Amino acid sequence: MPMLSASNVSKSFGGIKAVDSCSIAVERGSITGLIGPNGSGKTTLFNIITGFYTLDEGTVLLEEKPIHGLKPNRIYHRGIGRTFQITRLFWKMTVLENMIVPVKQLGLRTLMSQGVKNYEEEKAMELLEMVGLEKFRNEEARKLSFGQQKLVELAAVLMSDPAMILLDEPAGGVNPVMIEKMMDLVDDLNQKGTTFLLVEHNMRLVMELCQHIVVLDHGQKIAEGGPADIQNNPLVLEAYLGSTQNANATT
Amino acid sequence: MSLPSTHLFIQTLILGILVGGVYALMASGLTLIFGVMKVINVAHGAFLILGAYLTYVLFQWIKLDPILSIVITMPLFFLFGWLLQRYVFSRIENPEQTSVLVTFALALILEGLLGAIFQTTARSVTPSYSTATLIIATYRIPVTRLAGFVVALVVLLILYYILQYTRLGRAVRATIQDPRAAQLVGVKVSMVSAFTFALGVATAAAGGSLLSMIYTFNPASQGDWVAKTLAIIVLGGMGSLPGALVAALILGVMEQLTAIVISLYWSPIVFYIFLFLTLIVRPQGLMGEVIREKG
Amino acid sequence: MAKFFHSTPALVAVIFVVGIISPWIVPNQYYQHIIVMTLMAAVMASSWNIIGGYAGYTSLGHAAFFGLGGYLVAWTHNHYGWHPFVSVWFLSLIVVVVALIMGWIALRTQGSAFVVVTIAIVFIFRLLALNLSSITNGANGLTQPRPGWGGVPWSPELIKIPFLYFFLVLLCLTIFASWWIRNSKFGLGLIAIREDEGKAESVGIDTMMYKVLAFGVSAYFVAVAGGIYSYFFTYIDPTFIFDVFVSVTMVLMAILGGRGTLWGPVLGAFIMQPLSIWVVGAFGGSSIHLSVFGGILLLVMLFMPQGILPAVSESLNKRKQVQSPAKDAR
Repeated sequence: MPMLSASNVSKSFGGIKAVDSCSIAVERGSITGLIGPNGSGKTTLFNIITGFYTLDEGTVLLEEKPIHGLKPNRIYHRGIGRTFQITRLFWKMTVLENMIVPVKQLGLRTLMSQGVKNYEEEKAMELLEMVGLEKFRNEEARKLSFGQQKLVELAAVLMSDPAMILLDEPAGGVNPVMIEKMMDLVDDLNQKGTTFLLVEHNMRLVMELCQHIVVLDHGQKIAEGGPADIQNNPLVLEAYLGSTQNANATT
Repeated sequence: MSLPSTHLFIQTLILGILVGGVYALMASGLTLIFGVMKVINVAHGAFLILGAYLTYVLFQWIKLDPILSIVITMPLFFLFGWLLQRYVFSRIENPEQTSVLVTFALALILEGLLGAIFQTTARSVTPSYSTATLIIATYRIPVTRLAGFVVALVVLLILYYILQYTRLGRAVRATIQDPRAAQLVGVKVSMVSAFTFALGVATAAAGGSLLSMIYTFNPASQGDWVAKTLAIIVLGGMGSLPGALVAALILGVMEQLTAIVISLYWSPIVFYIFLFLTLIVRPQGLMGEVIREKG
Repeated sequence: MAKFFHSTPALVAVIFVVGIISPWIVPNQYYQHIIVMTLMAAVMASSWNIIGGYAGYTSLGHAAFFGLGGYLVAWTHNHYGWHPFVSVWFLSLIVVVVALIMGWIALRTQGSAFVVVTIAIVFIFRLLALNLSSITNGANGLTQPRPGWGGVPWSPELIKIPFLYFFLVLLCLTIFASWWIRNSKFGLGLIAIREDEGKAESVGIDTMMYKVLAFGVSAYFVAVAGGIYSYFFTYIDPTFIFDVFVSVTMVLMAILGGRGTLWGPVLGAFIMQPLSIWVVGAFGGSSIHLSVFGGILLLVMLFMPQGILPAVSESLNKRKQVQSPAKDAR
């Protein structure tokens, strides 16, 4: 039984069907890739899973329990964390403050607690050390480099020990050294038990890291399987080539 | 509290519709500006009242009929709105955050100036027909209300024509639907914003002229009218012109019914009740689009 | 020296001590009156700051809570003989409940729509106060007996002093509450909401609950201020007290000093309130003071929207960087 299963999910914006009766399943402990040409519905699907969009049709189940219709903060409490395609941090807060903003659960005592608790600080520093950014704890987030910001975003999500993390283009706009670092990080966390679903355009990363890959095109799933299956799948090639052809036609 | 007879009911319905038409004109500018620029022009009420005072001055000075004065006030306000948007508002860095307070500041400045010039005495424009009533099929129809309704519809039709058939108008509609797509097909945001704001302020001029002969007003009325027109566009769906029309008619009728059934003094509360109910039950209003969720 | 200014308890203590001895420094009643009003303004601006500054939601509806506090105190004073200095503390809790309900509805909107919805709240209350005249005495408003204690009115020469002390204590409490919130997880969450509400949701913050709570808390001290205000002036009426302009003064003061900071609203109030009393006096009964306020608000929003304190600290930081560039090398 898969950890996360989206079944026959559809979502339209105005007249356009961004996601069309899509079904995907993410197995526990896997690193699953979600790929497809631009506009194929990947980020929309992400937004639906994490509660930012409400689906028009279908269901999303986490551990067999429905999560569609829940607000993003509830989904975070259920154990799904996410990063954003364009990194989102609290820019004027320090790195450490960014780390302690995430809230695991609600409680009046927690709300009113003053300052940073020891265990919070310890955990934050532990995670910052894991990504090599412990020296930047008191820097404002906006002062960090692009790649460093991405790492902080991921580290902050890890504060609540999510069982599953959705990464939205983790390698986007990042230098090759940083990409390696991120791949090692994801692999490491995965070994320790975290499940990953990632949207990515960098094919090398996807083929090396993901055990299972789902391909979307025009909001529909057109293929899924292991890296080898996907690389040799004519439908997939056509989807990508087709989109390049279209791009060439309009230029 | 007493239930009206059928005759009184229909009479009230008619009056409500007549008044609703004028409300629709007043609210049209507000919803248009929101649709394009995604900001609530809090100074809208002040523009309405400014239009009313201008009409009042023209009437006192050269006995110009308030309906005719629209011919003067609308172009004037169009220009005023254009300049305001082009040279003041466009310079604001963070429009979504700061525009409310900036437009509110503008409203305060206007209210203060109008109060200094005209004092707080309640004013009204009283053309020769201000007390005249037509009797159609035993129903009493005040001429000012009827004239207001007709004029409001005419102006709204002109507005509709502009939006449907002129190039700039189509650009405005495209921007309301999907600002990014509109930009991609070459729509210039600054031009559209200036045009929309100008249109919005111009309709406020027309609305103000009609207001002046139907209601009494003073500088402080601007606050009341902002709240009322906001209630209309929230109920109708922010950014939707047809929605504003429907909502205005509904609220006009409800207001008149409340005045008859309960009391005149309670009737304004209809707007606030509908505002809050809409926010609770159906935040996107009657014809608005569900606000694109946060992402 | 800088460390002293950074220590909140120290600054509060200074204000408290100066406040206690001020009646002896300033025996003139007119100036005592200004001090009372300034302290009250600082309370209101600081309280508003909780929802308007920390969470970033500009409410123009707080005049409703101010007025409601005034009406509750006046009514219970007249009907039950409850002394405002005592009753206001728990009557304001009723206002908080009302604020929570209003907030639960209003906070479904964002940005400019939210602002206008809060304006509507003020109008609703004015309408209720005007029309429920059997309770509120309608347009005639409510009067209270001359301030005093135990049935004995205070002597006219000393009458401002108890209010001065009351608002002094209230201000210290308000600043303390604001400071407490700012340093708590709740406050961090509010600031996160202000900075990026969607991101805050994605990391587990129940933004609606946080916002409604902040809205309710921000109403408390404003309501207390309103309650004692009705006693200070011995008279309130709907048009005068349920006025969006009352909200605007709170907002302008907080913004001028620096919304979202702890001391900004206090600074803004200390500057604006004496100024506004002067303006109203100088221009007589004319509405021109509205234009003056509008003009100041416009200028602040266009040229210094972050407020005085953040602007000052920014330029101080820039100087520090220029003086020691080596510090930035990593």
